[in-house]
Amino acid sequence: MPITPMEIYKLLPKTNCKKCGEQTCMAFAFKVVNRDKQIEECTPLFEEEKYTKQKEQLLEMLEPLKEASETGLIVDESKCTGCANCIVVCPVHAAEDAYGSGSGFGPKIDDPIYRLENGVLKIINVQRCRRYGKNRILCVACRENCPSDAISFLEG
Amino acid sequence: MYTCAGCSCLCDDIEIETEKGDVKTVFNACRRGAGIFLNYRLSRAEPMVDGKSADFEQAIEKAQELIQSSEKLAIYGLDTTTLEVQELAIKLAEKKGAYIDDNSTFCLGDFVETILKGELPSTTLEEVKNNAYVITYWGSDAYHSLSRHMSRYTYYPRGGKRQRGYEEDRFLVVIDVRKTHTAKLAKKNARFLQIRDDLELIEAFNQALDGKAPSIFVNDIPRILKEMEKADFNVIFGGLGLKYGLKGNYDPFKNLMARLNERTGVYFIPAGCHPNMRGFNELMFEKTGEINRYSFREQRSSDEFAFHKLLENDAIDTAVIIGTDPLNSLPFEYAKKLAKINTIVIDPRETFTGRFAKVVLPSAIAGVETGGTMIRSDGVRVELKPLFEKEINDERILGRLLEVV
Ligand code: SF4
Ligand code: SF4
Ligand code: SF4
Ligand code: SF4
Repeated sequence: MPITPMEIYKLLPKTNCKKCGEQTCMAFAFKVVNRDKQIEECTPLFEEEKYTKQKEQLLEMLEPLKEASETGLIVDESKCTGCANCIVVCPVHAAEDAYGSGSGFGPKIDDPIYRLENGVLKIINVQRCRRYGKNRILCVACRENCPSDAISFLEG
Repeated sequence: MYTCAGCSCLCDDIEIETEKGDVKTVFNACRRGAGIFLNYRLSRAEPMVDGKSADFEQAIEKAQELIQSSEKLAIYGLDTTTLEVQELAIKLAEKKGAYIDDNSTFCLGDFVETILKGELPSTTLEEVKNNAYVITYWGSDAYHSLSRHMSRYTYYPRGGKRQRGYEEDRFLVVIDVRKTHTAKLAKKNARFLQIRDDLELIEAFNQALDGKAPSIFVNDIPRILKEMEKADFNVIFGGLGLKYGLKGNYDPFKNLMARLNERTGVYFIPAGCHPNMRGFNELMFEKTGEINRYSFREQRSSDEFAFHKLLENDAIDTAVIIGTDPLNSLPFEYAKKLAKINTIVIDPRETFTGRFAKVVLPSAIAGVETGGTMIRSDGVRVELKPLFEKEINDERILGRLLEVV
């Protein structure tokens, strides 16, 4: 399930106190989703007792963020049949592995983002994904072409 | 690189890491394909005679004896084994004047036959990858039955004239009675036609080709035709859904294909899953002009010679079953029939049919323990090579059985 900034915002103190270093609670919520900020940086939430319940809800909601790769990419192997659609559509593979993954075969480069291992999709070089790093773009090609919804992104 | 014989895609880009004679990691295969390599040691058959363990030599001798004394022999299965084995099986059937049949009667044999007779224009999957624009899956949920079909050969890969990827260089059409996983992929530049009746859809296409408004899919059908006319190379993959929708009458479909081909290029390739079914059909066709359900004694093919019919009509005294498990798919009635006759099962794995057999001969898994050649769904020959060679395989076994005829 993707986590949206709105869901996080609803549980923050909403005082815009700026203690987290952001101008508004909403801005902070965005950064939490993108993992530029940790929830712990909202100190009032952890220090003031009246927020305890909200804090617990937030921590629970953010649990999957820890497991997700750095691009927010999650693969549910139990749903994957190994069709390789996601591998072949990935624009990074098309550009850099034109005669391997980009043409439907197994990868011919050493560092593909994805490959099939024992019949299911494995993320092996997540840092090459276009959703990664400062100049990221919100690519969804792999997720859009997985018929069994085995791929999801935390950010939606 | 190894070839996977998990389905008729016969992907030949499988990489395998082994450790101490065991498969550690399988790369590039889909879930089904990887399972074949990873689990090759599981549920293996043991030599049996009359339901008791025997050594291989005893089992072979017993099988030879049964074949020698048989007057009405049938050979059945063969779609998961190599051309080399199929040839030996056909030779055995010929020498014994036996019946021979495979699973293609229930599968896409009819389509293969139409192609071999030149009644439907066909092409190869490589040509599809390099040229095809409109790609139609008709009654086939390729995502499940042929997992890598779309990513390796059809919609997704870039190749030849189709370098810009699926979003610009392909147009996907999925035709099915329900929204399958494959249908879910029909998004941009694509159409999903959820039909009730294949013949009704064919009729609607004909109406549009006549310049009339089609009775169903009023906008979609003219759009699809327009897309097809944009390229001179389009393809229809027909699956079991189309076969059963046509109810044995292929003419309306053949006519539609002919009419489409007056306007643009549209090819047909069967989308079936048995790895080497087409191989058996092609070998039989070369030899007899028929593709299955054949009696070498009567030198003709007939519905009555389908394996399940032979059982039903008590027409045989001995059956050699190679690489298939008919009792798994046939009603239990047939188990009683099989138990009454002399059944010889040749299979790498334990099968349900094996429990009712007089003789079980364990063999090798094609593509894992034995090599050879298979024919892909589009008619292209693909080589298989063994990962761990096993001495006793189908070829050896059939060679021994041929000694006595
Ligand atoms: S520290 Fe917490 S309450 Fe203060 S602005 Fe940041 S998010 Fe809002
Ligand atoms: S999000 Fe885009 S770039 Fe990243 S792995 Fe998926 S397809 Fe490739
Ligand atoms: S598209 Fe989905 S099912 Fe296919 S390999 Fe990728 S994650 Fe697995
Ligand atoms: S698509 Fe078929 S041939 Fe290819 S890896 Fe999967 S099971 Fe094997």
